[in-house]
Amino acid sequence: MAEAFEYAVKKDVRNNPIVREMDQARQRELWSLVGIAGFVVLVLLFSAWQHFELLRHGYQVEQMQKERASEEDAARQLRLEIETLRSPKRIEALALQQLHLVAPTRNEAIVIERVLPADPPDGSVIARR
Amino acid sequence: MREPATDWRVTVKRRTIVAAVALGLWAIGIELRLVDLQVIARADLMARAERQQLRTIAAPAKRGDILDRRGRVLATSVDADTIYAVPSDISDHAAVVARLCDALVDCKDRERQGLADRLRRQKNFAYVRRQVSPDEARRVADLNLEGIGFLKESRRFYPKRELGAHLLGYVGLDNNGLGGIEFAYEKQIRGKDGKVQIHTDARRRAFSRFERPSDVPTGGATFELTIDEYVQHIAERELHAGVVENRAAGGSAIVMNPRTGEILAMANEPTFNPNAYRDFPETHQRNRAVQDLYEPGSTFKVVTASAAVDENVMPIDTLIDTSPGVIRVGGDVIDEYGRHNYGVLSFVDVIVKSSNVGAVKIGFQVGVSRLSQYVQRFGFGQPISSDFPGESPGIVWDPAKWTDRALASVSMGYQVGVTPLQMVAAVSSIANGGELVEPRVVRAMYRDNRRYAVRPKVLRRTVSRGTAAVMTTIMEQVVTRGTAKLARVPGYTVAGKTGTASKLIGGRYSGSENNVSFVGFLPSRDPVVALIVVIDAPHSGSNSGGMVSAPIFQRIAEGTLRYLGVAPTVDPAPPVLAARRNPSAPFSTANPDPVAIVSFVHDGPPGTIPDLRGMSARDAMRKLAMLGLSGHVTGDGFVVFQEPAAGASIEEGAVCRLVLERTQPVRPARATQP
Repeated sequence: MAEAFEYAVKKDVRNNPIVREMDQARQRELWSLVGIAGFVVLVLLFSAWQHFELLRHGYQVEQMQKERASEEDAARQLRLEIETLRSPKRIEALALQQLHLVAPTRNEAIVIERVLPADPPDGSVIARR
Repeated sequence: MREPATDWRVTVKRRTIVAAVALGLWAIGIELRLVDLQVIARADLMARAERQQLRTIAAPAKRGDILDRRGRVLATSVDADTIYAVPSDISDHAAVVARLCDALVDCKDRERQGLADRLRRQKNFAYVRRQVSPDEARRVADLNLEGIGFLKESRRFYPKRELGAHLLGYVGLDNNGLGGIEFAYEKQIRGKDGKVQIHTDARRRAFSRFERPSDVPTGGATFELTIDEYVQHIAERELHAGVVENRAAGGSAIVMNPRTGEILAMANEPTFNPNAYRDFPETHQRNRAVQDLYEPGSTFKVVTASAAVDENVMPIDTLIDTSPGVIRVGGDVIDEYGRHNYGVLSFVDVIVKSSNVGAVKIGFQVGVSRLSQYVQRFGFGQPISSDFPGESPGIVWDPAKWTDRALASVSMGYQVGVTPLQMVAAVSSIANGGELVEPRVVRAMYRDNRRYAVRPKVLRRTVSRGTAAVMTTIMEQVVTRGTAKLARVPGYTVAGKTGTASKLIGGRYSGSENNVSFVGFLPSRDPVVALIVVIDAPHSGSNSGGMVSAPIFQRIAEGTLRYLGVAPTVDPAPPVLAARRNPSAPFSTANPDPVAIVSFVHDGPPGTIPDLRGMSARDAMRKLAMLGLSGHVTGDGFVVFQEPAAGASIEEGAVCRLVLERTQPVRPARATQP
């Protein structure tokens, strides 16, 4: 007896040309979700950026405070040095010993007073040359 | 037989579910951990983070500066390096000590031993030396020693060294005032330390700071003194020269404005350097001018005579018989200095010749009750200035206990203890017409960019104007023909009185040790300064006030008047007149031949606007700010016009209008004979 040979006839169903209709509502929903997620990510990134900018500025401010304190201290040191050099005792010693200056005598030091002429009284006549 | 093709979907589905569950569990685990960290353990973690990141550091207040009346710095603070060691980090202590001491140069054996002991104790911190100089810090830093570090501390410096040392005082290592103005006004000068909270990262770098309003440090107030640096220098120089020349134990000199009580100079010998006060004995640090008492001797006759004139007990033309040059009082004999016998003297001549017998007779006429009143009125027996916490009040006997002998002694300046400050303040009251003005050394205080001026304070009236005028005339004669001829200052009228008093040593008056003094004011008819010079125990031959103190007074007075630009009152040079060419158009840059503006800058009398002409805008505004005034500036260059004019009285908060032009400021012309 010959073997039974079964075969099936399969209908060749080609679905490729069938294009599924786009679900517009779902599509919109999807894009809005993407937009919201993107916005959230941007906000988070911005927040993080702000935080690190604040930290960076904080470091800069501290550095500038240190520099300012250092400059202020340098200014005080220089002021101290100036005042030390201005000591009357030191200057007098230099004048007398190194420059061989002497204190002015009474006749060499004259005090000048500014004399302001008084305003003429009302109704007077002033003779002029 | 092959399985149906749909089985792979089931497999995929199963595997997907497993993967999803695994991912889900992982995500849940992470979420739970986040909740645990951020919610459950939040408080604990925040506290730990604060402990690690938050540090509180002290913000020390900067100690205020001390300036003279012209804004020149007498005391200031700068940061200095303090060297410290971490002994636990140092392996070879002996070697480190040796190298440190080599670098510090003046390291004595005691300091070396102390340092070695501190390092041996193996603690975490030990001072090596505090507040070192920049050179010392650099030398130690160059050694690069392990376990040695630096920190900044505020250190007080007195750039003029000994100048005004007793007035300024000094501070200790912890910046506490220990004497003088530093001590008297410690609370204001020190300021208030604060606190700052800083956030640090893992590398201990700070990135933010926070100060509570209540923790902000308050800088110390800056004090402007009445002292003039150059007048102080003159007084110290001449006092030192006088003490050395007369081989004296010490001395004091005070220069004061008799009208306002402002002390322009206060000098003491011996003196010290407040930058290194530990190197000087404590006796050098005493402010003799306010702390040491002395019996004033004949200078006190001014008080006796003032009482007599003011109370009209003796007209000044009264004749007083002082012969035979001695007087017996209560069993004691009082004689004249040098055993003179002046015979009959006028009231005036009793003071001019400084007759002890005459003074005793005047004192008896005045009487205990009145004389003690005038002693109190002139400020003796009580502190006279609030700027000197250590001021001695002096010694004045209770009048109820005055015997005749006591009255006689007080009349001629014995049995009463006074300070030089009290004496010069008393004589200043005669100089200014009879008002006792409180002597002061603080002129103004600067705080929060505002200037708080101290006003002159009149304590009381001592004598009437008429009495003051009479006493001035008498004291002029002391200088012109009396015991103080060496106090004459050419070109100026001087009024004063000498004093020579034996020192009380071991309960007995010494025959060889005296306190000699001269107190006076000049120009006598319009006094600018009152001055006292007191010399302790001179040994130069003639140890009297007229021979020792009067010349020192003369030198200080002459230098001071020249520096202050006070015109001579006797035979003054003819005035130099400077007039505008075109009075109607004040100042125009179109003028091709600008008129020479004779301008000099001086302060003028106190309480008046100084002459700002010739100054730059910056200098003029600075001067106005120091007087508490505002300025309105027009133009640029140098001040050629000011309103109010120089010499006008100062009104608080007034605005001074300044006109500036780019005229070349002209040197003051020499006076020429017409």
